[in-house]
Amino acid sequence: MLAIEATDLRKTYARSLLGRGGHEALRGLALAVPRGSAFGLIGLNGAGKTTFIKILLGVVRPTAGTVRVLGGSPDDVAVRRRIGYLPERLQLPPHLSGRAFLASVARLKGLGSAEAEVGRQLGRVGLAGDAARRIGGYSKGMRQRLGLAAALLGAPELLVLDEPTDGVDPLGRAEVRHVLAEERARGATLFLNSHLLSETERVCDRFGILAAGRLVRQGTLTELCGSGTRWRVRFAPGCDAAALARLGFFAGDEAGAFFCEADDAAALDARLQRARETGALLVELQPALRDLEQVLAEAVEAA
Amino acid sequence: MNGTIAVALDLLRESISRRWFLALGAAITLVLVFLGLALRLDVVDGALAATRLFGTALDNDIRSVDVALRPVFEAAADAIFYGGLAFGVLACADFGPSLLAPGRIEHLLALPVRRHELLAGTYLGVLLLACAGALYGAGGLALILGAKTGVWTLRPLAAALLAAVTFTAIYGAMLAAAVFARSSALSAAVGAALFVCGIVAGYRDELLAAFEPGVGREAFAGITLVLPRVSALARTAADIAASRPVDLAVVAAMLAGVFAFGFAMLALAVWRFEGRDF
Repeated sequence: MLAIEATDLRKTYARSLLGRGGHEALRGLALAVPRGSAFGLIGLNGAGKTTFIKILLGVVRPTAGTVRVLGGSPDDVAVRRRIGYLPERLQLPPHLSGRAFLASVARLKGLGSAEAEVGRQLGRVGLAGDAARRIGGYSKGMRQRLGLAAALLGAPELLVLDEPTDGVDPLGRAEVRHVLAEERARGATLFLNSHLLSETERVCDRFGILAAGRLVRQGTLTELCGSGTRWRVRFAPGCDAAALARLGFFAGDEAGAFFCEADDAAALDARLQRARETGALLVELQPALRDLEQVLAEAVEAA
Repeated sequence: MNGTIAVALDLLRESISRRWFLALGAAITLVLVFLGLALRLDVVDGALAATRLFGTALDNDIRSVDVALRPVFEAAADAIFYGGLAFGVLACADFGPSLLAPGRIEHLLALPVRRHELLAGTYLGVLLLACAGALYGAGGLALILGAKTGVWTLRPLAAALLAAVTFTAIYGAMLAAAVFARSSALSAAVGAALFVCGIVAGYRDELLAAFEPGVGREAFAGITLVLPRVSALARTAADIAASRPVDLAVVAAMLAGVFAFGFAMLALAVWRFEGRDF
């Protein structure tokens, strides 16, 4: 079951009222996001991330191609009722209190008596004590938390979050991550767009790299950042580094850590067996992952 | 709850917390309190025998109280009509552009509300706001004078409602301007221009007689044909408030024109809104 399915999606913004010329924001984007996953969309400014998110929500209409969200069209009100959205730069009515704003969103979402739900979400994002204050007096981080609470109202099946931790302090970011983990545990699908790659890495299990309006790479962190043949191993203290170096183990980023190359499982096992014969005790083995930032830079350059 | 009604009620809630509307409510209340406390009307056998303001007697002939109140209601109708329209143009110019502000419109469009419901709800909210303001002022005045003189009439309320309906026709054009340009200044400018042009359009027949036959006359006739007849509607409101006879067929025709103009502008705004990316 897919939460998001886009096929050959194109969007050209017309430069003039007559529709002549234009800027191609998306150029045949294809993407499938399984339900229950946490998908992080990454890319440089102008890559088309926000345009894609707006298409997912029916805010922008594609020039060509199809997109299905939770099995239906984003133009369908019943589909949008099952989505929670936090825009990149959420503009909140400064005259209203945080509670009044959430109550308004709850009414527009068609939630019945939402007082308890509003109170619960305010508590989850740490704004219970400021609920009666006017939004005009909120800090940037508090506004962002309020926007997140609005997205969480009504337990949506899909959460689309555009820069959810923008302006939130480090402790607040941890709280936001905790809330998002709870949402995933509930079964919600997360679709995240963030410039903070480390944040995206910590929340998401699948990633897509958008460059020049196309999805140039996608997969799990291991699929994107791992070479498939390079491994990181760690041996217990006291191992013979010189002997290991002769066997093809190169010193790694911390004490006892080494990298090695192996084309397949049999080759890896044989290499580790030879290492063990030198007296080295294996305590950790994992695929060697490159930095996501580096992978992004390579993907963008290739595109 | 229907999306249109939910949006309209939200607009009313938001307006309550805006300074413009708090100031209007306070000003109306002050005028009503002032009249209630400072004005004394002595009525004897259905005639207004004496009028005192802050205890000072005002010169006036003894006459039937309902006749004596007519100029008061007429002046109130004029003040509510022209004052209300001018206030509405200034105070409501921001509703459309703030709804369409980047960062807010994306959030609203992502909610389970249809695009046309957002605009229709904003329009309905402004209509309710205009009616509430007009009825509060006119109703309060009718109530105070009714309690002081025993003359109870709904005519000032009918006149005030006419003003509210006229404003919502103008607001339709303001909302359309906001959808096209997302600018409070442009929205207010369109409202002010329609207000002035509507006053001119109210004297259309008299002014047409002054034109030489030709393109200019036809152009003036064509443009003023579609505009709300603001000054003519204001005169009608004053006539209703002052208990003067009005031609119901003419009033109905003017109201039909006002509704047609308002809904045409709203339809234009919805058409543009439905096809626009944000």
